[in-house]
Amino acid sequence: MLGVKKFLAITLVLALVVLGVAAKVKPIKLGAVLPLGDITGRQAANAMKLAVKEINAAGGVLGRPLELIIVDDEMNPSKGAAAIDKLATIDKVDFFIGGMSSGVHLAQIPILKKYQKITVWIGAASHLCEKALAGADWYFHLHPWDYQQGAGYAIGWKQILEKYPQVKFDRVFLAYEEGAFGTASYKAYLAMLEQAKQGEGPYVGLVKEFKGESFKSAAFGGGDYRAVLRLAKEWNPDAFIWAGYDADALPMMAQAKEIGFAPPIFIGAPPGWPADFGKSPLSEGVVLYGMWAPSLNKVSPVAEHFYNAYVKEFGEEPATYFAPLGYTNVYFLVEGIKKAGTLEKEALIKALEQVEYESPLGETLKIAPSAVIKHQGFTTQKILQWQNGKQEVIWPFEVQTAEFIYPFPKWEGR
Amino acid sequence: MAETKTHGRHQFTLPLLAIVALILIFIFKPYAVIYGVQRGSLYALIAMPLALTLGIVGILNLAHGDFLTLGAYIAYWIFNSTGLDPLLSIFAVAPLLFVVGAGLYKITVSKVLRAPLLNQLLLTFGIAMILEEVINLIWTSRPRNVYVNYASASASIGGFRFGTYEFSYLLAAVGVLVLLRLFLKHTRLGKAAFAVGQNPKGAKIVGINVEMIYLLIFSISVGIVGIAAGLTLPRMSIFPLFGSPFTLKSFCLAAMAGLGNLTGILWSGLALGIGEALVQSIEGYSGWSDIVFFGVLIAVITIRSYRGSYV
Amino acid sequence: MLIILAVVALGFLFPLYAGPYPLHVMTTVLTYMALGLSWDMMLRTGQLSFGTAGFFGLGSYAALLTTLYLGLNPLASIFVGGVFAAIVAFALGYAILRLREIYFAITTLALAGVFTVVARNLHDFTGGPEGKILPSAIFNGDPTKVYWLTFSVALGSILVSELFQRTRIRFAITAIRNDEITAKSSGIDIFKYLLFVFVITSAIQGVVGGAYAQQYGFVSPESAFSTNFLLLPIAMCLAGGIYSTLGPVIGSVILGVLSEYLKLRFPYGHLIIYGVIIVAIVLFMPHGILGMLKKIAQKTRTEVGGNENEK
Repeated sequence: MLGVKKFLAITLVLALVVLGVAAKVKPIKLGAVLPLGDITGRQAANAMKLAVKEINAAGGVLGRPLELIIVDDEMNPSKGAAAIDKLATIDKVDFFIGGMSSGVHLAQIPILKKYQKITVWIGAASHLCEKALAGADWYFHLHPWDYQQGAGYAIGWKQILEKYPQVKFDRVFLAYEEGAFGTASYKAYLAMLEQAKQGEGPYVGLVKEFKGESFKSAAFGGGDYRAVLRLAKEWNPDAFIWAGYDADALPMMAQAKEIGFAPPIFIGAPPGWPADFGKSPLSEGVVLYGMWAPSLNKVSPVAEHFYNAYVKEFGEEPATYFAPLGYTNVYFLVEGIKKAGTLEKEALIKALEQVEYESPLGETLKIAPSAVIKHQGFTTQKILQWQNGKQEVIWPFEVQTAEFIYPFPKWEGR
Repeated sequence: MAETKTHGRHQFTLPLLAIVALILIFIFKPYAVIYGVQRGSLYALIAMPLALTLGIVGILNLAHGDFLTLGAYIAYWIFNSTGLDPLLSIFAVAPLLFVVGAGLYKITVSKVLRAPLLNQLLLTFGIAMILEEVINLIWTSRPRNVYVNYASASASIGGFRFGTYEFSYLLAAVGVLVLLRLFLKHTRLGKAAFAVGQNPKGAKIVGINVEMIYLLIFSISVGIVGIAAGLTLPRMSIFPLFGSPFTLKSFCLAAMAGLGNLTGILWSGLALGIGEALVQSIEGYSGWSDIVFFGVLIAVITIRSYRGSYV
Repeated sequence: MLIILAVVALGFLFPLYAGPYPLHVMTTVLTYMALGLSWDMMLRTGQLSFGTAGFFGLGSYAALLTTLYLGLNPLASIFVGGVFAAIVAFALGYAILRLREIYFAITTLALAGVFTVVARNLHDFTGGPEGKILPSAIFNGDPTKVYWLTFSVALGSILVSELFQRTRIRFAITAIRNDEITAKSSGIDIFKYLLFVFVITSAIQGVVGGAYAQQYGFVSPESAFSTNFLLLPIAMCLAGGIYSTLGPVIGSVILGVLSEYLKLRFPYGHLIIYGVIIVAIVLFMPHGILGMLKKIAQKTRTEVGGNENEK
C-alpha cells in the first residue's frame, strides 16, 4: 500500500517537474536579415548557425535553447524592410541581428523603430544610417562606421612609422570606386585631412599631401583602372590606396604592372578578396585594410577555434570578415543575456554595455558611444599584408603575425 | 537586314572627320586612344553576335552577357582542372557554348518564334536569371581569377608604356568581323541566312530552311561569345553578374550601328571606347564616363531619325 | 461589376485584417502594379519603353529633394515628382518619339542611364552616390497609411488604364499599334497621341517613384534607378497578359507574392525557381495568365454549349 502511494507521489512530482521544465523550454528567438545571395551574407548566416549550434550544445542560454530565423534581404531595400516586419510579427523574434548593405538598412530603420526590439547589427557602415538612428538606445552597432575606419589606420600607420623608420607616408593617393562605398571613403579622408590642417584629429603630422580620383568598379561593369593608375604614377605617391570591391583586386594589380606603377606602399581596401588572389604572384607585398585574416589563428585561440569549426561544419574556408563577424554577433548578444540574467530590455541593454567579448576578429569587443549613437562596437580595423599568398597581420602589434615588407616589391619577374 | 549606306560625297566626310579627331586626341591623350581601342574592340566583339541574332533571328536576347559569364566560368573550370591556358581553352569553350546555344534554342527559343517579340524578351530574361543564379549557387558570388603572366605584359615605344594583351580583343573583333562578312556574303549558307534576315517569309517560299538557319545563327552567336569569354578571363575577375553589363553595351552598339551593319559595330565600339577612355582620363570628371556611351547613343539615333531612318 | 467593387473594397480594407508583413509585401506589389500598368499603356501604342526606372527615379529624387530643400509637404512632393517626370517626358518626347521598336527602347534605357549618372555626380545637390535622407518617412512610417497611399496610386493607374481602354483613345492607339500608315491616312495625329500617352505614363512612374522615396525616406542612385523597377514590371505584365488592365494587375499580384513566398521556402536558389517559372509561363502561356484564363473560359463555354446541344 505504502509502495503504491510512494510510487504515485514520485510520478506526480516527476510529472510536475517535466511540465515545469517543458514550460520553460521556450526558445529565445533571434531574427537575422542577411543577403543570402552574396558571399558575405551567406557566410555570415553560416557562422551564425555555427554559433547557435555551439551555444545550444553547451546548454543554451538561461536554460533555454536559441532559435535562429534567417530571412534574405536580396540586397533590396523594400525586401529588407519587409523581412523585419515578418520576423517581428510572424516569427515573433526577441532580437534582430545581421545586416550588410547600408542602402537596405536605411529602409529598415523606420521599421526597426516601430518595434524597438534590441538590435545588434553587423552591417551598414554609412554615416547616413547613423544619422537616422539618433536616440535609438535599443540599437547596438558592431561594424565600424565609414568615418571611423580612416581614423583607425592613422593610428596604425603612425605606430608603423615609429617601428620601421624607413617607411614614408607623406604623399597618399586614393583611388576610390565611384559608388557609395568608395565615395564615402574619399569624403571621410577629405574631412579628416581638413581637420589635420587645423591641427586636430588622427591625421595630424601623418599625411602631408593627398589626392583622390574615382574609377568604375569591375563589380558594376567597369574594371579599367589604367587612367587612375597613370594619374597616380605621375603624382608619385608614398602610398597608393584603392577603395573598391573584391572584383577589382587582381585586375588592379595586373594593370599596375602593365603601366609599371609600383609605389613603395600599395594598399587595397575592399570589403573582401577574391578566391584566387593569394595564388597570383602579383599579390606579394600588397597591404590590405581588413578586420580579419586566417593567419590570426596563430595568435588568437578564439580565431583558431572559429576557423576550424567553420571549415569542419561547412567544408569551405571563411572568405570574408563577415563570417567571424556573424559569429561574434550571436556570441556578443548571448554574453549580454547571460550577464543580465534576464531578457528584460533595460537590464539587458545595461548588461550589453558592460560586455567584453574576445572575438575571433582578434580583438575584444567593447561598447562605447560614436558620433550619434550610444552603442558602437568595433571602431578600428587592422593593417595586413599579403605575403606568400596569405594575409599576415602587420598591425596592431599585439596580434602581428609577420614583419612588414617595405617597399612594395618590383614588378620585374612576376 | 537593311543596310544603311551613305552615298556620294557624304561617304567620305564622316570618316575623314573621324581620322582628324583621332589624330588630335592622340596628340593630347595618347593613352586614351590606346585604352579606348582595346576596350572598344571588346565591346564590339561581344556586340557583333548579338547584332547577328537580332538581325537574322529577330530576337532581343537579354541573356547575351550571361553567356559570356557562362563561358568564362567554363574556361576557369578547365584551367583549374587541367591547367589549360585560357586562350587555348577557347577551342573547347566556343564549341561547347555553340552546343549550349543550340540546345537552349531547341528547348525554348524555337517555341516562341511565332509569339510576339516581347515573349522572347521575357524568355531570355528568365534564361538570364536562371544562368546567373545557377552559377551563383555553384561558385558563390566571390570573384574568381586566373593568372597568366602574359596578361599583364607591356611594351614600350618611345616614352609610352602600354599593355599589349588587350590588343587581342582588337584582333579577335576584326577577325570575327571579317569571317562573318565572308560567311554572310560568300557562302551559300551565309547568303541564305542573310536572306532570312531580310525577309523570312520570302526566304521560306524560295525553299530556304528557315528553322535551321535560326538554329545555326543563334548557336554561332553564342559560340562567338565563348571566344570573348576565353579572351577576357585572364584580364577580368569573374563573378555571376560580370557579363550582364555587356548585354546593355551590346544593345547600345547594335542600335547605334543600325541593324545589320556589322562593320558599323566595330567603328561604333572603337568610337565609344575611345570616348569613354577620354572622359576617364580627365581629372575629376571620370565619374561622367558612362554618359559618353549613353549620350552618344542617344545623339546618333536621334539625329539619324531626323534623316529619315526608323520613322 | 459587383465583383470589381468587392475586390477594391477588400483591397482597401486589407490593413484591417492583415499584419504588417503581408501589408508590406502588398505595398511593394502595388508599387510594381502601378509601374506595370504604366508600361503596358505605352506598349498599347506600339512603343516598347525601357524608361520606367528612369522616370521612377526622377520622381523619387524630385519628391525627396523638394521636401528636403523646400520643406514641401510629403504628399504634395509626390505630386511634384509626377509633374517633374511629365515635364521631362514632354521635353524629351519631341526628340525621341519619332523612333520605333528597339530604337525607342534602347533610347529610353539610355536616358535612364543618363539620369543615373547625373544623379550620381551632382554631389552637393543630390548627395552623390550616397544619396540623401529625410529626417522621417512619410506618415512616420505608419504601414497602414503607406499602404493606402500606394493603393491609391495603383488604383489611379488602373483607372487611367481603363480610361484608355474604354474611350475613343483606345481605337486611335490600337490603330497606331497595328499599322501606322493606315492610322495616319484615317486622320489620326500619331505624334500627338504618342506624346500624350508618353507624358501620362511617365507622370504615373514619377508619382510611384515619389511615393516610394517618401515611404522609406531616402534616395540613392542605386535604389531609385534600380533595374528591378524596369525588368520586374515588364515581366509581370507579360506574365499576366499585355494590352489589358487586368493582365498587369494579375501578373504583379501573382509574381510579387510568388517571389516572396519562394524566398521564404527556398532560401538558396529561389531565384532559379522564379526564372524557371517565368520560362514556363512563356512556353505554356504565350498570352499570359489572362490569356490562359480566357482560353479555359472559352473551352468550358463551348463544352457546356455542346452538352446542351446534345440534349
